[in-house]
Amino acid sequence: MKMSKSFIGLVVVSTIFVIYASGFYTNFQTDSALEIVDFSIDAPANKNRAPSNPDRIPLYGDLHVHTKYSFDAYIFGVTATPYDAYKYAIGEAIKHPLGFDMKLREPLDFYAVTDHGFYMGMIENYADTSSKMSKNEWTKPMHNLNRPENVTIESLGDRADLFSSVLTEAIIKPYPYWHPKVWKAWFTNNIQVALQSFDYDVHKSAWADVANAAEEFNDPGKFTTFIGYEFTTSTDVEGGNLHRNVIFNSSNAPIRPWTRIDSINPEDLWTWMDGLRDKGLDSLAMPHNSNGSNGQMFEVETFRGKPIDNEYSEKRMRNEPVVEITQIKGTSDTHPLLSPDDEWADFEIMDKRVGSRPPTYSMPQGGYVRDAYLRGLTLEWRGQGNPYKFGVIGSSDTHTGAGGFDEDNYWSKAGVLDGTDFSRGSVPLPQDRIDQLNAYADVYDQPISIQEINGRTYSDVGFDQWSASGLAVAWAEENTRDSIFQAFKRKETFATTGTRMAVRFFAGFDMESIDLDSEDMVKNAYAKGVTMGADLFGSNDQAPQFLVWAQRDKLGAPLQRVQIIKGWVENASGTPKEQVYDVACSDGLSVDPVTNRCPDNGAKVNINDCSISSDVGAVELKTSWRDPDFNPTIKAFYYVRVLENPTCRWSTWDAVKAGVKPRPDLHKTIQERAWSSPIWYIPEPNEIDIIPL
Amino acid sequence: MNLRIVVFFVIGLFIFLLDTSLNSQEDSRDIYISDQELTSLLSAWKSQVGRPPSDEEIVNIINNFVEEEILYREALLLGLDQEDRIIKRRLAQKITFLKQETIPDEPSQEDLKKFFEQNKNNYFVPTTYSFSHHYFSKENDAKARANEAFEDFQTEGIELRGDPFFLGKNFYQNSGDEIQKNFGALFFFLIEKLPMNEWSGPHKSAFGEHIVFVKDISAGFLPPLEKVISSVQQDYLTQAQDEAVAKYIDEIRSEYSVVINPNYKF
Repeated sequence: MKMSKSFIGLVVVSTIFVIYASGFYTNFQTDSALEIVDFSIDAPANKNRAPSNPDRIPLYGDLHVHTKYSFDAYIFGVTATPYDAYKYAIGEAIKHPLGFDMKLREPLDFYAVTDHGFYMGMIENYADTSSKMSKNEWTKPMHNLNRPENVTIESLGDRADLFSSVLTEAIIKPYPYWHPKVWKAWFTNNIQVALQSFDYDVHKSAWADVANAAEEFNDPGKFTTFIGYEFTTSTDVEGGNLHRNVIFNSSNAPIRPWTRIDSINPEDLWTWMDGLRDKGLDSLAMPHNSNGSNGQMFEVETFRGKPIDNEYSEKRMRNEPVVEITQIKGTSDTHPLLSPDDEWADFEIMDKRVGSRPPTYSMPQGGYVRDAYLRGLTLEWRGQGNPYKFGVIGSSDTHTGAGGFDEDNYWSKAGVLDGTDFSRGSVPLPQDRIDQLNAYADVYDQPISIQEINGRTYSDVGFDQWSASGLAVAWAEENTRDSIFQAFKRKETFATTGTRMAVRFFAGFDMESIDLDSEDMVKNAYAKGVTMGADLFGSNDQAPQFLVWAQRDKLGAPLQRVQIIKGWVENASGTPKEQVYDVACSDGLSVDPVTNRCPDNGAKVNINDCSISSDVGAVELKTSWRDPDFNPTIKAFYYVRVLENPTCRWSTWDAVKAGVKPRPDLHKTIQERAWSSPIWYIPEPNEIDIIPL
Repeated sequence: MNLRIVVFFVIGLFIFLLDTSLNSQEDSRDIYISDQELTSLLSAWKSQVGRPPSDEEIVNIINNFVEEEILYREALLLGLDQEDRIIKRRLAQKITFLKQETIPDEPSQEDLKKFFEQNKNNYFVPTTYSFSHHYFSKENDAKARANEAFEDFQTEGIELRGDPFFLGKNFYQNSGDEIQKNFGALFFFLIEKLPMNEWSGPHKSAFGEHIVFVKDISAGFLPPLEKVISSVQQDYLTQAQDEAVAKYIDEIRSEYSVVINPNYKF
């Protein structure tokens, strides 16, 4: 028996070798991931569509939403389907796993369910005790996992343990080499088929359901959805998070998502997306949680450690025009260590590597957006192209189907694990929970997950660094899939921390003729300048004028100030530099020309009930600005940051609602904000300049 | 006297024997799965997974059922059902379902019509407004500037010009909800009462003052019952079920008395 097996093995290996050597293998191998399926459904067209608006309108959405099909969401007790997620987005209430209602303050304009592509739909299948997979011994801890009686706060410990142990090597094991599934995997270029824990039919039907839900809810003119998923990869050694969401601009989509089982290298993802684009299917990938990437997201070399070149830069920018700058797992604008002169840099910093156990520090360099823009300029200065010339969006990354964007209406994102105030660490733990967490840490050999602060005991699993954030905003002509998608490709986008403020940003050399108070201001600005996400080409050494306009969220706090953040590299040395300029202040205050700062407007927050000053702050702030330090020969980027008056952070709201004191070591207030995509100033070319991307 | 006690015991013994002999079948260790049960197991599986189970899966489904039944019976023997909160909750849920199901499946046309009449508001297609406006920012003396511009327009025919507004000047078929989203609740209540095809104002919003011209109002309307019959039917059943449960609890509650230790410290 043993002999014959190795004999078969020998035959197999030599056959493969012959096929390879003869170069005919490409004739046998098909690429399953490049097969495109039409998921469109017959829906009556909306006849009453608003005419499209050439001046464009801001549309608010979330492009990062997980449902029960994500392996981790299912473990967190989530049973919400993609259909539930879309219902939530259009304003209906849906249930949190712990039983309470989740509802938006106001409906959103667009939404994309982006479940983890990797093992999509499989955990639900393990939990179903009638499935083939559930006969495997290792599925036992997951049996009937999300039956109503099992979704309880008491199950938190087991779920946390499952999350950290599921899909480890013991489970992701291939069949032996002689197995027909291994052959199938090779012939169809679909490695996951060769894994013993994988059922391709289950996976495909989960993906088809995600696509079908998107199609059912897409309502041109009113509400837009995208078929999408998350490419959940990381560097192999230190677990540097390289996650990206992929969305498709069509009712067509590939038959299956391209996942980390196909390759852990994001450059291969782009190759696949290029392949789909050649077949007429456009898509884009959006990196997220660069803050938890240990500096790997915006590296100055390729995934395999080679120098970045123009080809790499172009390929990356073709596929990744926008990056998620803020979400529940923290904000990635900049870090206090990277921007010591930016007083607003210490904002919702999440300083751990994503999913690390025990929680491990993430290096800031290479993990933040502003730093990436500077790195991009440096790379370009060295003639390697600029792979970091992207726009920004925000999104939630909720795993409950429902993004929580408001500080006073927040459920974090990990279902049973962080659905209560004490499990998020914002209020002290009840005694029985302390015992439970200790017992759990003991049994599962996990790090201690409680901490003593001022004589009170709090949960300590990192949820206290998470945020009620964020939203993606597109400047689009109308609320349709293509119009919004094109805005992402143009990078005419901004990100907010969940607030529905709006911001316009233009630059040009003839902007002074534009009357800021004219109803035609936007039309003129489009005609005479460029907007966020675009390049402004130098002209006769003139200094450009910038036009900024921000409007408050009518249900949020008033605006405090508008800033322009400038970054550049010095021509002689390539040294990166940055500068934050306040450009408009509320309450008639004016910017101090020496410090470039607005005076304090005196806005206050009452920590006992979270009420805010009602008489200070602005409804809108509008200004035209010139860079006082402009040098026409230096390439630079400029982006806008808009700050609201301070309000209570979610952790303070939790404490107020529970009638306890807010935790002393956490920020008690935050300033909700928006960031625009940058405008890049490109000097007039001379003989030594590099042609910009 | 003694005889009466003996007769009492004899009758008691007789009842006991009769009871045990008649119920002997249920005590045996047979598990009988009815056709109905099988059908419901298979259709539940199908509705969850979206396709009928394969032979292998059918075997699994039945095995699961059998195992569950065995464990269930053994647990009952050990009295594990006593004082278990989840079981209590489940039984409470079951009697709720039972009471809900006492409602006739098919409400008559008459019932639906009456229900529809009583709940008209839920089926109303809302009014939409198409309008243009000129905006005067709160940041810049909105009220005075708006008044002046409007007066100039009315008395001297000077063209109306305001500040730029983030969402533009023209709004097409906005429902009340959309107007609230774009301008705030206050503004919606105003626009409802405005005359058509003439400029009026200034009207206050969350962002400042507006001079408004309503071009078109598509009046809200109540669609005929036939158009919304399926959702009416659904809502009728839901309400009838809720009512039946509430009624049942009301009836039965009076038969119970509740005792709580008055000295307990909450």
